[in-house]
Amino acid sequence: MSDLDMSQYLGIFLDEAEEQLQQLDEAVVQLEQTPDDQELLNTIFRAAHTLKGSSASMGFNRLATLTHRMESVLDSLRQGKLAVSREIIDILLASVDTLRALKDSIAAGKGEEGDVNEVVARLEAVLAGPAAPVANKAVANAELTLDDIEQNVIRAAEVKGFRAYEIRVQLEAGCQMKSARAYLVFNNLKELGEIIKSVPHTQDLEAEKFDDTFTLAFVSREDADTLANVVKSVSEIKDVLVRPIVLEEDQPAAARAGTAPGKPGVEAAGGKNGTTAPAGEHHVNQTVRVDVQRLENLMNLVGELVIDRTRLTEVGNGLKNRLGNEELLETLEEVSLHIGRITSDLQEEIMKARMFPIDQVFNRFPRMVRDLARKAGKEIDFIIEGRETELDRTVIEEIGDPLIHLLRNAIDHGIEEPEVRLRQGKPRHGTVRLKAFHQENQIVITVEDDGAGMDAEKIKAKAIARGLISPESAARLSRREALDLIFLPGLSTSDKVTDVSGRGVGMDIVRNHIEKINGTIDIRTTPGKGTCFTIKLPLTLAINRSLLVHVDGRVYAFPLANVVEIIDVTPDSIQHVHRQQVVVVRGRVLPLIYLGQALGLGTPIPAADTYAVVIVGLAEKQVGFIVDDLIGEQEIVIKSLGNFIGKIPGIAGATIMGDGSVALILDVRSLMNFVGEEADRELAS
Amino acid sequence: MATDTAPEIQLVVFQLAGETYGVDINHVQEIIRMQSITAIPRTPAFVEGVINLRGRIIPILDMHKRFHLPAAETTNNTRIMVVELGQVTVGMIVDSVSEVLRLPTTSIEPPPPMISGIDVAYLKGVGKWNDRLIILLDLDRVLQESEQRELQREVAAGVETR
Repeated sequence: MSDLDMSQYLGIFLDEAEEQLQQLDEAVVQLEQTPDDQELLNTIFRAAHTLKGSSASMGFNRLATLTHRMESVLDSLRQGKLAVSREIIDILLASVDTLRALKDSIAAGKGEEGDVNEVVARLEAVLAGPAAPVANKAVANAELTLDDIEQNVIRAAEVKGFRAYEIRVQLEAGCQMKSARAYLVFNNLKELGEIIKSVPHTQDLEAEKFDDTFTLAFVSREDADTLANVVKSVSEIKDVLVRPIVLEEDQPAAARAGTAPGKPGVEAAGGKNGTTAPAGEHHVNQTVRVDVQRLENLMNLVGELVIDRTRLTEVGNGLKNRLGNEELLETLEEVSLHIGRITSDLQEEIMKARMFPIDQVFNRFPRMVRDLARKAGKEIDFIIEGRETELDRTVIEEIGDPLIHLLRNAIDHGIEEPEVRLRQGKPRHGTVRLKAFHQENQIVITVEDDGAGMDAEKIKAKAIARGLISPESAARLSRREALDLIFLPGLSTSDKVTDVSGRGVGMDIVRNHIEKINGTIDIRTTPGKGTCFTIKLPLTLAINRSLLVHVDGRVYAFPLANVVEIIDVTPDSIQHVHRQQVVVVRGRVLPLIYLGQALGLGTPIPAADTYAVVIVGLAEKQVGFIVDDLIGEQEIVIKSLGNFIGKIPGIAGATIMGDGSVALILDVRSLMNFVGEEADRELAS
Repeated sequence: MATDTAPEIQLVVFQLAGETYGVDINHVQEIIRMQSITAIPRTPAFVEGVINLRGRIIPILDMHKRFHLPAAETTNNTRIMVVELGQVTVGMIVDSVSEVLRLPTTSIEPPPPMISGIDVAYLKGVGKWNDRLIILLDLDRVLQESEQRELQREVAAGVETR
């Protein structure tokens, strides 16, 4: 395959390789739980096999070699020659890791950087393992069997006028320096053609791990006698057998004619793969891979269409006022309506095209949970539900890290050691459950464990000890509010807290991540029973339900997820505490600030009989923002302000309104931080 | 005038506070009429705000403020020049855009130490065309310095979440 062709297919190859690697990762971990699952073994085998095939055709030899060796081990598992053990699982996972490293290196444009020899050797050791004497003998007597890659090489060579031979070399009994003889044979033959395969493997030959016979698959333009003579020119060779290899077209994966079925050598890939692999490739839905950027562009184009539609309607109305009812105008109205309907449908379809099953994120977790549990010496049943739940690509990209944090916490701090659990009358195995589902316009993801749970009083005590909160305010906190303390940055970085509370590492980061994608996170926990984190996310990042308001003649958007309620406040009900304006709502003291002031616009609150106040909540903190006017709820498309402007405190982005103008989206978290600050500033002035 | 063989650059020429400026045409994406701009709080004064350019949000810079020139009124000739430099796309408000012309590189001189309008640091050189002087803007500098201010502001804001 020429370089040009290669680069053209590289992207597809990498995408597919990633899919197969994820499948391998997941299925191998599952295999550890259900070692007798033949179907699972077949799945693993197929994934390895497909990867081998595509790697070989792309010319990635290390990938091909390693997957090939994996296949051999997997085949032995399938045939019951080997039993699934923790050791084998470890080696298979190590193989997957090595494959991934190779793949990543290829993706980074560095070619196949990385060593596969160690893993290959481990795989071979497994094959040679318990049944050692038998296996060795099998190697010595193995007739040459060829897998489909090797057969393809031969076919390709035949097209170019080469012929394929099986060359069986027998050394004299008691031959000295067997590996040197083999090396000479190889060397002589290499001048006349190419060695495609050697049984035993060249490494074994070099290490003198063979009796006195080895067999080669060789392609050459020379005839059999010439080859035999070349081999015989090496001393201490007892016998040489050269015979042509005839491939069977109908059984691509089967060994060549003459190989006794049911007696495959160590190298045998098995005849099944040739037939099982294509069977697994029947797709009901036809799909096309599309660059995310393309979809993004499509979305923007549709956005423009929506704006033009609005303008078209306006033009129509304008003309109607001027010209009255004319037939032409009616047509314009009809067309305008029709365009409107089509644009809405188009928008919806593109939105759907951006949806992916959350499995893309979930599928890497079983492996991670297994590794963490092993490291922590804990026994964990990991259950995943709702893999098929779909959400927007942009959200998928962001949700992985927070979930890793939560799962890690559940394993590290939530689930107790097996002995501890037994003593408490719990089953040895802890259960961690990861679940995703749709709820109205949201995605809900829960991470639940049946571990130690969290004690609100202990968290309070720690927060006081850390100086994060005064004992007085701690006393006033409800249990829920106390639990929310684990999201404080200072608390989360402390190791000691995790000992006591059982939670906390990086929880502030988790929450920041989730709020960045307009989500919320909640805790439910019972000491001794376990903990459940609930994450609620919008279906898509790009589109968000918002409350639009007017301030100082401009339109701003509050993400609806943060809006608690809207109330009217009369000027005389506003009180002052420490010069901070407050209002009492249902017995609760609520800080109050004019939105223009919080944004630093420097405009005073316009006089009014009643103020419209948007109450915004984050965790337990609530603030009321006074606005000039409420406009209403609307779905908006979130856009970034771009590199030049970067991050502006208080602003999360911008959106384009129906009339083409730009409105700013408020970042409630940082806006709330400013509330105290602005009050201080006023105090100072 | 330029011969066919002499290396030359193509400039978009515009007016700013009575001076004639030029930028490399390769950086100019388009030139649009003045439109309503949405102001953004907590940005430097020269950032007028953002506009919607066919679905993209583009920041708009007031070049008078950017170069500390006396303020000018918006007229019928006022234009927004959308320039693209690396990852950054911005619109620059200029008094008017007059023409596109080719200038042989030989007629460009380094900026003289004394020049009436703006800081010499923002200039690439001065081009002579017929009897006119065209001040060549160094867009890199013009856009970069504001990014540094941006950084400083973020550091100052401090409490901001990552």
